[in-house]
Amino acid sequence: MTESENDPLHEELQKLVGSHISRPTQAADEVNMAMIRQWTDAFSDRNPIYEDKEFAAATRHGHLIAPPAMLQTWTMARPKIENLKERGGLTIDIDMDSPLIVLDKAGYIGSLATNSEYEFIREQRLGDVLTSEAVLETVSPRKKTGLGLGYFVTWVTTYTDQNNEVVGRQRFTLFKFDPATMSL
Amino acid sequence: MSQKEIKSLRADAISVGDNVTAMDVEVTATAVVAGAIASHDYMPMHHDRDFAQAQGAPDIFFNIMSTNAYIARFLTDWAGPEAVLKNISVRLGVQAVPGQVLKFSGEVTNKEEKDGECLIELAIKAAVETGDHATGTAALTVPA
Repeated sequence: MTESENDPLHEELQKLVGSHISRPTQAADEVNMAMIRQWTDAFSDRNPIYEDKEFAAATRHGHLIAPPAMLQTWTMARPKIENLKERGGLTIDIDMDSPLIVLDKAGYIGSLATNSEYEFIREQRLGDVLTSEAVLETVSPRKKTGLGLGYFVTWVTTYTDQNNEVVGRQRFTLFKFDPATMSL
Repeated sequence: MSQKEIKSLRADAISVGDNVTAMDVEVTATAVVAGAIASHDYMPMHHDRDFAQAQGAPDIFFNIMSTNAYIARFLTDWAGPEAVLKNISVRLGVQAVPGQVLKFSGEVTNKEEKDGECLIELAIKAAVETGDHATGTAALTVPA
């Protein structure tokens, strides 16, 4: 259900469409076997294309590749573990003018991820250095849901390699809601 | 493991309507934490039960990167190491928490040969006892 058209917060958020949702981030480490092995062990993924060099060379990939779903992991910000509780569990810095912070400040502190769309354009190989850049794509009008009033915020993260070629994208939708409005 | 014997599906072995080989994942606290840390996601709801419960969740739960990681494994366990994943698009539902079994299922919805390879499109689902955890589509290519 859409709330009334007169919504100054929605207008403010609309102005941020096309702008960065977080700073462009370069991976702290190049695509490497230590992180790949930690991943394949965590998910019990025994596809030899990730770890068996000789096997990989004989496939159409031609060489070892990183698990495609690691795309987001390579450029994850290094976490801040100290004083995590004081920051409400936020492990990374977010730009203060990010739409997510604007919503937090307006009381829409709840977050629920609703959609994830990964597009894998080129496989990662050892030594690749990825950079990610997330841009706000859409903000829905304010909606009333079972969780309370809120906005569906969608952004697209584009991943590029060391040659500035796009290797993948992720479109992600988060519902930002005000838990205090649940019973309204 | 004799990896040389690992088979990859070729296009002629796949038909529209085929089921992807089912996969069950036992959700344990260890699996949730291992997945969160392997994906470099330190958000406390994926490793700290008190924090997760204060946020209204029943327990710590799989992060989204873990969900995608298991979907990718589910697809390549079936199609084999020659498969190239093209996309995974999911709508996210109920959380997967320790004590549950996350069941993956999928079906081939389209098949299209092009330039010596074959694009396979699939409908996929990962569900726990309490409902659908992730539902959507995926695509991969296999050798023609």
